[in-house]
Amino acid sequence: MHPIIELGPLNLGSGALLLVIAVFIGHTQFERIARKRGDDELEQRARRCAPFALLGAAIGARLWYGLFNWDMYGQSPGLFLALRLGDLAWPGALIGGALAGYAYLRLRRLDAATAPLADAAALALPPAQAVAALGLLLSGEAPGAPTDVPWALPLFGVPRHPVPLYYLLAALVTWGILVWFAPRVTRPGSLAMIYLALQGSAMLLLEALRVDSLVTVGGIRAAQIVGLAMLLIALWQKRAPMERAL
Amino acid sequence: MAIPRGIVARDAHDMQAMLEGIRSLLMFSRRIWDLLLIATLLTGGAFIWATRIAPGAPATAQAPEPAATQPAPLVGHPAPGFTLSAIDGSQVALDDLRGQVVLINLWATWCPPCRAEMPAIQQVYERFRDQGFVVLAVNQQEDATKVVAYMNDQRLTFPALLDSDARVGAAYQARVLPSSFFIDRRGIVRAVYRGPMSRGMIEGAIEQLIAETP
Repeated sequence: MHPIIELGPLNLGSGALLLVIAVFIGHTQFERIARKRGDDELEQRARRCAPFALLGAAIGARLWYGLFNWDMYGQSPGLFLALRLGDLAWPGALIGGALAGYAYLRLRRLDAATAPLADAAALALPPAQAVAALGLLLSGEAPGAPTDVPWALPLFGVPRHPVPLYYLLAALVTWGILVWFAPRVTRPGSLAMIYLALQGSAMLLLEALRVDSLVTVGGIRAAQIVGLAMLLIALWQKRAPMERAL
Repeated sequence: MAIPRGIVARDAHDMQAMLEGIRSLLMFSRRIWDLLLIATLLTGGAFIWATRIAPGAPATAQAPEPAATQPAPLVGHPAPGFTLSAIDGSQVALDDLRGQVVLINLWATWCPPCRAEMPAIQQVYERFRDQGFVVLAVNQQEDATKVVAYMNDQRLTFPALLDSDARVGAAYQARVLPSSFFIDRRGIVRAVYRGPMSRGMIEGAIEQLIAETP
């Protein structure tokens, strides 16, 4: 656990630092892939769409975190605007970013770009997620359940499932599979669906090992619901007739 | 270059046949997709339910087993002893609190459910502290400055102890944060609760333990 990185006089939170790097990687990759898979016009659209998607992701991440910690956030709503990078939640970021990006393209009547840009996002997100997961690992966030498995890492005095490491591996596997599929699929939107299926499954399974999950009624982990929904959306798109897909 | 008409036609025909084949395969497999969707929904839902954070044993005090004499963070056992530094620099020993009802709460500022239950703990503390009720908020491995800032910020007045090497966390097998242990006046663990507690739960358990004669 190395929650603080000392750079001369600066003490930087490793989680926050790697999150910023992750956003930078995701952002630049998104535009690069849009140009590579599409053309200059698609890259232009990616460039215009990205700030809205990022803003939506930031708002979604904080809203998600705050609403599931209503005891605290309800008492002091100022926390919703506080500059605390720890109080963000990935499912909210994913939903918020996707909705904002979609809304932007819809309002600008660029519906045709939605599926290709979703594919570009699917290819750009996994490396960013891997870096962000490394940040969680270094800062000791997302602690896992205690376990005896040989790869357990000690955290808070107990050997635990290294959940961020699992998320990191899941991101890398997702990335590998998407890179393999990228030149092989023709239908726009397919990569986005593969991303949803893989990352949805990962969230559904890995979230179960966390001890600090955000929960809804009955102790159900909110991220698992999102994971299952992502998986079902991907399967539904595969099942639906091609014309209706995205 | 001119393309022979026949080849184009045959290719188009082949393409047509192939598309037809794919289409029929898709039509056929739609039912399989339906089944797959339903199966995924059901197994996924069952998995989510099975791995939910089950609301642990209710924080009502159970009668101790007479045979349990070994210190352990389990109901009926003597609470494992410890001495820790409080954020005001004083040393707090659990054994010195014999005769009082003690709530040991293992927590950290980074843990949202821990922060969520703090106001409830404070309220119960204010209500019962004059009747011999002590809260020991055992912070897990955080900087004293961070803990002090949080306690002041949230106006929490019970003692916050610094478990800087997580020895108490380990002794109390803190699998989940927050973890709460209700200790009676004789130093016996009477209820263990993992996960955040509501005010009513804490109050119910403390009311009962306070009422017991020392």
